[in-house]
Amino acid sequence: MADETKPPATAAVPPKPPGPPPPRNPGMVTCTVDGREVVVKPGTSVIEAAKHVGVEIPYYCYHKRLSIAASCRMCLVEMSNAPGGKLMPACQMPVAEGVTVKTDTPRVRDQQRATLEFLLLNHPVDCPICDQAGECKLQDYYMKFDRAPSRLDMDKNEKGKRVGLGPLVVLDQERCILCTRCVRFMREVAKAPQLGVALRGTRSVITTFPGQPLDSPYSGNVVDICPVGALTSTDFRFRGRVWFMSSARSVCAGCARGCNTFLDYLSETTYRYRPRENEAVNQEWMCDDGRISYKALNQERVIRARVGRGGALGPRAAAAEEAARVLRERAEARTLAALFSPLASLEDVLAAARLASEGLGLGEVYLGGRRDGWQDDFLKKADENPNRRGLELAARAFGLRIRPFADLVRDIESGAVKAVWAVGAEIPDPHAAAAFGKLEAFVCQAYNDGPVAKAATVLLPASPHAEMDGTFVNFQGRAQRFELAYWPRGDSRPHWALAAELGRLLGLPFRWQDARELFAELSPRLEGALGDFQWDSLPSVPRRKGLLPIAAGTVDGRLPGYRERVPFDVGEDAARALSRTS
Amino acid sequence: MSTENKAMAPPAAAAPDPLEAPFPSRRMMINLGPSHPAMHGTVRSVVELDGETITDLKLDIGFLHRGFEKSCEQVTWTQVFPYTDRLNYVSSVMNNVGFALAVEKLCKIDIPDRAKYLRTITSELHRMCDHLTLVGALGLELGAMTVLIYAMEARDFLWDRLTEICGARLTSNYVRVGGVSRDAPEGWQDKVLATLDRAAELRGEIDKLITRNRIFLDRTRGVAAVPRADAVDLGFTGPCLRASGEPYDVRKAAPYLVYDRVEFDIPVGANGDNFDRYAVRMEELAQSDRIVRQCFEQLPPGDIAIDDVRYVLPPKPEVYGTIEGVMAHFKIIMEGIKVPAGEAYSYTEAANGELGFYLVSDGGGRPYKIGVRAPGWPMTAALGHMVKGALLADLVPTFDTINMIGGEVEQ
Repeated sequence: MADETKPPATAAVPPKPPGPPPPRNPGMVTCTVDGREVVVKPGTSVIEAAKHVGVEIPYYCYHKRLSIAASCRMCLVEMSNAPGGKLMPACQMPVAEGVTVKTDTPRVRDQQRATLEFLLLNHPVDCPICDQAGECKLQDYYMKFDRAPSRLDMDKNEKGKRVGLGPLVVLDQERCILCTRCVRFMREVAKAPQLGVALRGTRSVITTFPGQPLDSPYSGNVVDICPVGALTSTDFRFRGRVWFMSSARSVCAGCARGCNTFLDYLSETTYRYRPRENEAVNQEWMCDDGRISYKALNQERVIRARVGRGGALGPRAAAAEEAARVLRERAEARTLAALFSPLASLEDVLAAARLASEGLGLGEVYLGGRRDGWQDDFLKKADENPNRRGLELAARAFGLRIRPFADLVRDIESGAVKAVWAVGAEIPDPHAAAAFGKLEAFVCQAYNDGPVAKAATVLLPASPHAEMDGTFVNFQGRAQRFELAYWPRGDSRPHWALAAELGRLLGLPFRWQDARELFAELSPRLEGALGDFQWDSLPSVPRRKGLLPIAAGTVDGRLPGYRERVPFDVGEDAARALSRTS
Repeated sequence: MSTENKAMAPPAAAAPDPLEAPFPSRRMMINLGPSHPAMHGTVRSVVELDGETITDLKLDIGFLHRGFEKSCEQVTWTQVFPYTDRLNYVSSVMNNVGFALAVEKLCKIDIPDRAKYLRTITSELHRMCDHLTLVGALGLELGAMTVLIYAMEARDFLWDRLTEICGARLTSNYVRVGGVSRDAPEGWQDKVLATLDRAAELRGEIDKLITRNRIFLDRTRGVAAVPRADAVDLGFTGPCLRASGEPYDVRKAAPYLVYDRVEFDIPVGANGDNFDRYAVRMEELAQSDRIVRQCFEQLPPGDIAIDDVRYVLPPKPEVYGTIEGVMAHFKIIMEGIKVPAGEAYSYTEAANGELGFYLVSDGGGRPYKIGVRAPGWPMTAALGHMVKGALLADLVPTFDTINMIGGEVEQ
């Protein structure tokens, strides 16, 4: 009985505060954003969680690959677990079990409007002369979240208008909103902390250390991640307006990494590369050398054929006939050698390898390409050729032995090789160009005019990767598709089309109409070396027939200028006229 | 088709007239147009004749086709307005209004009163221009050249007034999403009222010249008559429908702008023949006159466009002087106003009938799809039916009274 009157021992212990609710989805966090349930991994920020259900939270300073600054205050939202009911930065706050997030309340909207008003307070009236116009987050968010007229009745703060930070980057301090994305990028990704914020308050500016320019080989990325027009590229500055340009999904041909890029072009000119996201290859960065490597697509292009050294430029058909005649004659005499460049795409070298082995009876090819350059442990590879692995695969598929370029020079000097057929005029040794001048016959398919192309007895104009659909195989063995931006310039054609033309003249059944057909026919020879690669893997999402809209960077989500691809078979004049914008 | 229709067909097997000379006749096909001075615009009609009587007519349109609907998908919403000018180019403001109302329906915006009145005034002035063109041309085609001269005089005065407010006689491009592009200039109201007086005078002259003229009556009464039931079946709208006796007018049936705030009557005809179509238009000229005068009495001061930078460009001092203004301007000009995703059909009473715009937006700066219900189309399609059994000489006046405008019919 006494035991019964005894109070329970547990009653003496004060009640614990209620613990966190048990997770509804074990191992995951379940929360609610704007009334919609989101299930994400623990530690996910509210911004990323909201993206899962298609809720857009605006931000400037947040970048998913950089540390969190939470300095722009654009992403403040209402959260049910906020202390004192304050608005919380969605980029910094991780989601918690059972939390309710609201991004569309009057309080949030008013905060966004106020933030934008402050950001725009000292922003110069620069849109008409600003390179960022058309892809500027200030413009986008002003129309979405502010829309109020200016209330400023005094002069704007004046700062440096064109501060050269380094060889590739110019800073406009007035346009800067001090989100510090560039500072964090240089510190955390480029591992070269060359940028910082100097001074205080309204005088704060992004700057380099005295006497130390922003010369990291990855400096160009700060231009891409700058959400406003503060950091601009010295290369692209004032050269074109982005809303007139179109974007093609491409691959940088600067080194064996093959960073995924957007190739921005207007009519028949490439204006810039921008990195395209690919977690396995380049995340979303690229190096400065790759960034300016687009220039080879425009400059000193060979766009007409030539027969005879120093001869006049002429039509391609006649030159191809002459080339086929030379190749047949020299192949029969067994004095012909083939030189393949690893700058050519996989489709190019497949077609060329087939012609070499089946049409010309060759058993080996010599390997051209650019000489090795610098490398680091981030992106850049020493091998500055985008498709060396692809060339090796194609040569193996057609039983061709690959021999180094030095052997070719030796064989030319010794007289064993009297004629060369070059697919691509890139050679690793610039002094060796003189050797080609000694050849009796030199059929050269070249993108750019140079000492090697000048030595050709028959020069055929070839189209680089901007002007064709194709594939590069990077150093990892990863096959990466790139798409045609504009149709081949002038009389030029992709290497594979030239090889097919020569093959037909030599009596081979080369009937490919496009690179896709070619790949479908020849890729079985690769015997699965490309893994699960699908040629059609470059996902295209046409909203209109013949158009591939690209959301990133381009105005309105459609291709700016709204040009359609021109069919391959129309005449050159018509093709040019159709692809012209204005 | 109804039984009245059969009555219109030429008497087939009547008793032979003893005095009739049995000339052997054979069917003859003639091409009228596409480039013929008597055809309105560039239209080809292939007429099958038995003597002078039309036994069949095929209308070959498309010479003015310019891909209106597809062109609109390539430009921003605002840039569509100049294209709509070229639909019914004789009364372009009404096309502007029709398109603007459709976009505003999608955007769910209501425009200031002053803009509504200005839209109504300019629309009615253009309706008068349209009807005057038709009446003048009808006179010309029946041999009354003077009527054309009088009508053109009145029309040119009206066009001068429209030029003063929107800068162009024909291609007005006056209306914008959210309002109109310009306010009425100083002293415009008095000039318009004086012009209306002069136009009324000229209208009276025309009325005296032809409405009771024996030749005119003989040539128009009972010609190409469309009974009320047929007109409804054929999808007629506008004056052609009302001439057949059906009192349908979008301005009354589904009032838009300020048509519910002004008094006006809907004239209807009895027989649906060429004369009724003429008479309805003559009366509508007077009614438009009434509407414009009432609008001027009620015209309130105030804004001519809504104050929202999502749809309307900010004032120029703001564009040139503030970053907020220049950004709003940039986004509207370069990307176009963002019309909420969805679809809408909006219809208005244009000079020839119900002008409908069917719009689909994907939320972007350009139309995803535009469809136009051209008011002139049902009448154009019915022309062959209307003139069967009529004389060849009546074809051209009939073609006039249905008022086919290549711009809108062929889009």
